[in-house]
Parts: sequence; C-alpha cells; structure tokens
Amino acid sequence: MKKLLSILGVFLILGCDPFVTEFKDLSDAVMYEANSKSNATYDSGNIKVVTWNIRFGIARFPFFGDSCGDDVILDDDTIEKNMATIADSLNLIDADIVLLQEVDVSSKRTGYLDQVQYLLENTNLNYGCYASMWKADFIPSDGIGRIDAGNAILSKYELTDAERIQLRLRTDQDGLTQYFYLRRNIVKAKIPALAQGAKDFYAVDIHATAFATDDTKQQHIDKYVETLAEIHSSGDYFVTGGDLNSVPPGSVTDFCLSDMCDGDDYHTDQAEEYHKEGSYFENFDGEPDILLPLYEAYDAAIDSDDANLPIHLTHGPSTSYEMNEIKYDRKLDYLFTNGIWENISSKTHQAAWELSDHLPVSAVLNVGGE
Amino acid sequence: MKKFIFYFIIASLVFGETKKWDAHSAYLLPQKRWEMGLFQPFRYGYSESIEYSVHPLWFFVMPNFSLKKSQSDIAGFTSAGQYKIVYPTPFLNMIAKAGIMGIIAPDFQIPPLLGLSASWLMSKNMGGMNLTLNSGLDLGVAFGDLDSRSTIDLPLVYHRLGVYYNTWGMHMGADVQKNISEKVGVLADIDLRLLPGLKGNYSLEHKLLLSWYKSENFRVLTGYKFVMGEYPYGSDMRLLPYIPMKETWVPMIEFQWARKKQ
Repeated sequence: MKKLLSILGVFLILGCDPFVTEFKDLSDAVMYEANSKSNATYDSGNIKVVTWNIRFGIARFPFFGDSCGDDVILDDDTIEKNMATIADSLNLIDADIVLLQEVDVSSKRTGYLDQVQYLLENTNLNYGCYASMWKADFIPSDGIGRIDAGNAILSKYELTDAERIQLRLRTDQDGLTQYFYLRRNIVKAKIPALAQGAKDFYAVDIHATAFATDDTKQQHIDKYVETLAEIHSSGDYFVTGGDLNSVPPGSVTDFCLSDMCDGDDYHTDQAEEYHKEGSYFENFDGEPDILLPLYEAYDAAIDSDDANLPIHLTHGPSTSYEMNEIKYDRKLDYLFTNGIWENISSKTHQAAWELSDHLPVSAVLNVGGE
Repeated sequence: MKKFIFYFIIASLVFGETKKWDAHSAYLLPQKRWEMGLFQPFRYGYSESIEYSVHPLWFFVMPNFSLKKSQSDIAGFTSAGQYKIVYPTPFLNMIAKAGIMGIIAPDFQIPPLLGLSASWLMSKNMGGMNLTLNSGLDLGVAFGDLDSRSTIDLPLVYHRLGVYYNTWGMHMGADVQKNISEKVGVLADIDLRLLPGLKGNYSLEHKLLLSWYKSENFRVLTGYKFVMGEYPYGSDMRLLPYIPMKETWVPMIEFQWARKKQ
C-alpha cells in the first residue's frame, strides 16, 4: 500500500506541472552554455553590445499576432534558414554582449527549436541566460499550441546571478485572456569578467508591453528605471537595452493609418477601436516622453537628438513593406549605459530589415570611461 | 490458408461470453443490453457474438463506429476481435481556425482522414480478478496532403491523431478488474501506443478507476488517468483530468447507465 501511495505521490508531483507558467516577482533566469566555447576570456579593450528583437526567427513571415498576416506556424526549414542568417549577422556584428527579445526555446510555431542554444552553437557567443515571457503547455487560440518565448542575454563571457524580474501584467484584459497572455520581464545578469575593480558589471535586457492601452507601459518603464537605478546607486556598471515599444521624445506617435490592414477602420466614429493597439503611443498622459528619464540619467547609444532620424529607425510591421513599401518607420529599440558609449560607433543595422520586424542596434562601450 | 479461413469462420460463429460493465475486456454485452456514459461510448449487445458501439456526442462531428466480435477461446482466455473506424476530418476542420478555441492553426486545411483499428482482446478470470490483454494495429489514411505542422501536441490527443501523420501505429495493453465488494469494483489499466518513425513515437497511459454500482443499470466511476510519452517537444507526463486555471488535478467522475431492450 505504501508503495502504491508513493507511486501516486510521484504521479501527482511530476504530472501536475502548471499548464500556464506564472512567475514570482523575482526568479532565476535559465542558464545556457555553448557546447564548445571560443574566446571566452576578456583581456581588455572596449565592449561591443547589440540589442535585437529577432521575432522568434520568422523574419518577415506574415504572423497573425503582429502584422496584417493571418499565418501562425512557419515551416522548420525556413526557421533554420532564418536562424542561420541571424547567427551570421551576429557573427558579423561580433558583439561581446547580445540582448535578444522574442526568442523561442520550445514553441510549436517555430518547430520547438531552442533558439538560445542554436545561437550559442552557431555564433562566437559562449554563455546565455533566458527568461520566459510566454510559457504554456497549450494556448487554445489561433493554433498557437505549446509556447515558450522570452528574452535572452548572450555573452562571450560567463554570466552569473541571472535574474528574471517580472513586469506588471496588463490590466486591460479579462481574466481568461490574461491567464493565457504574455508575462513580460526584465532579465539581468552579472558578467564578472567585465568588473572594473570593485565595480560589478551587469547586462540588463527588457521587452516592454506593445499592445497595452492602459498604463502598463508606464509601469514597465518605471520598473526598468528602478532596476537600473539600483545598479547605478550601488556604484556598479551596466549596459542595457531592448525593445521598449516606446518612441523617442519628439517622434510621431500615431501609426494607426500606416499600420492599418485591409478591412480595418481607425480614426472614425464607426471604428470599433479609435486607435490600433500597438500603433499608437499616446494612450496616457506623458507617454510620448516616457523615455526622457532614461535619456536624462544615462548615456544613449543613439542620442535623443538623432533618435528620430531615418537612419536610426528600428521597426516596421512585417507586412508594411508588401502593403506600403515601408521597411521601418519608427524607433522602438534602444541601448543605454551608465558608462560611456563610443558614440561614433553606434549603429542601427538597417541592412538586416528582412530578418525581423525589428533591426539590431549596436554600440561600443568605452571601458573605463566616465 | 483454406484451413485458416475455415477455422476463422467457425471461430466467428462461436458465441462469446457476456458480461455487464466491461467495455475493455473480451467479454461482450449480453444481447440487447445497452450501456452508455457521459464520456463513454454507447455500447449495444447486438447478438451473443457481436457488440457495437458509437460515441453519440462525437458522432456528428467525428463519425465513428466500433464492432466487437467474439472469437474462440485461446489457452483458456475468452477472446474477441475489435474493429474501429473513425472519420475525424469534420471535427479537426472545425477547430482549425483563428481566435479562441483555434486548436489547430487556420493555415491548415485538414484533408479527409480515415482511421482504422483492429485489436485482439483476451480475458480470463484469475484468482477473482479479470485480466484482459489487448494488442492491435492502427492505420491512418489521408486522402490529400496532411501538413505535419497541424498536429495537436497535447497528452492523449497527439498519439491518437499521430497515426494519420505516421500512417500506422501499434497499441497494446493490460486491464485488471476486481470487485472488492458487491457494490464496489476497481479497474486498473496500462496502455502503450507506438508510432514508429514519428517524432514523439510513444505514449504510455495508465488509468485507475473505482466504480460504485448502484444497480445493474447505473454506476458511478471516479479515478485518474496518467499519461506519459514522447512528444515533438520532448518527454512529458500529466495526471488527468487537470484544470488549467486552477492548476490542479481533480478526480474524473463518470456516470454510466444501462438497460436491456425488451
């Protein structure tokens, strides 16, 4: 009888993993390592950093969730080809630290390829940490099925103390939708090899809300600013960046009409929603200037004066080119540091526009610069 | 070969042993008795040697039919052959859609699919317990292009539909049933499904059910089902039924009714 109860107990423990994974405010990130490492020792010199929302390797596929497309699942061969091209681009950029958003590690939509491990095996990066923003055994909507997608930091040098910092959930959704919806986060890791004397060195990666119409975006940016301020006030260094889903101060804030899909209706009295979710950046007071605290407190890879220049735009919905010949028309992706960037080397890699609906932004940190 | 056909015909004519409330075994329902449950199929004892069953709730979206035919005893085991046919296409196309309850991506159109299954069942009473062994072959025929990305990667579902993607599979299992009192019985079973060559090629299911017989015409069952297996994303296991938003297992509850047609 005892044996039977023990077996039952094991079933109960192993067979009852949550269907949808929810996270504590602070939890450990998932650690990764390349199977074979190269150049994993930091000698000296400046550090190159890149941020890139890689759109889970589907490139410009007309995915239903973020474009005017209605497709869901890309074929395995195309995913591998896209990921190989993303790996080649990262090798070409040759960054020491890579901040990635929208990385799939076990998702039906991308053939269950662990994209973090794939990039570690196919780039000159050696270590990684990953934090899910969407993890469920099954999403019973649009054929999404099983999903595990999130943010990742990849580095040539060892990462330690990696944390997943939960961002507030949207409050403009019903309970059922919220249960199956994204749980966005900040992922933060220490890089001991880059410590400057007694000062630790951190990489911080964020993907803030895109579609919330309440004040969730403000909450996300506030938590981000708070996280960075903690590092800074401890006297440590950080490089940070990500897809902030916010436009720079002075930018156009309404992209509803250029993002509009066939059959949509915005900016009319008959419209179901006056503005298109994710395309309008004035949902609450102060949203157009939401990034000012970051620009004021830290060094931006692309200065706020230049942020709205065409050469620094980083995003366009994936179907915009087919519909309106727009490759990119706004800046949503940023790099900041409490050190100093070698500004002349900051770059928005617009040649990579076909690999995602976001473009990589890279910059070189002047190590030791104050 | 002639000998075999003759033997098969003679064996087919042999009347099977009948038993109530015993869907998993080689025993057939007594003639004219029917049994059905909330989640179990409607079963009917057509004759002393033939029983058929259909899932009435599923029938209009997933036409299905199963026939159990008694065979001659082998080594003291009561034997039966069970043959199933199912056409899941209408249901699968219903759930291949955009929005909530879109279980399959709307990118895919499911072609006509036909599932055929043949099982051999052998049952024997051993020391007060009924033991049933079963094994069989499953065939999945697709009349058109079935995209391998349209699978439903969920426990219980993946390996049942996997046969259409793999074209064939095998199953085997064992059931033990024992009455522990006049009113209470227990059933434990274990079933293995194999889909050689498919990514996610096996599943092992185990069920434990307690039955309370109110009368010979009504019973209540409760218990659990445990599923483990290999899926396209790796190994997984789950205790069922599972309530997602509560993140907890709850015991399954089933009501079954029976009558004998006059």
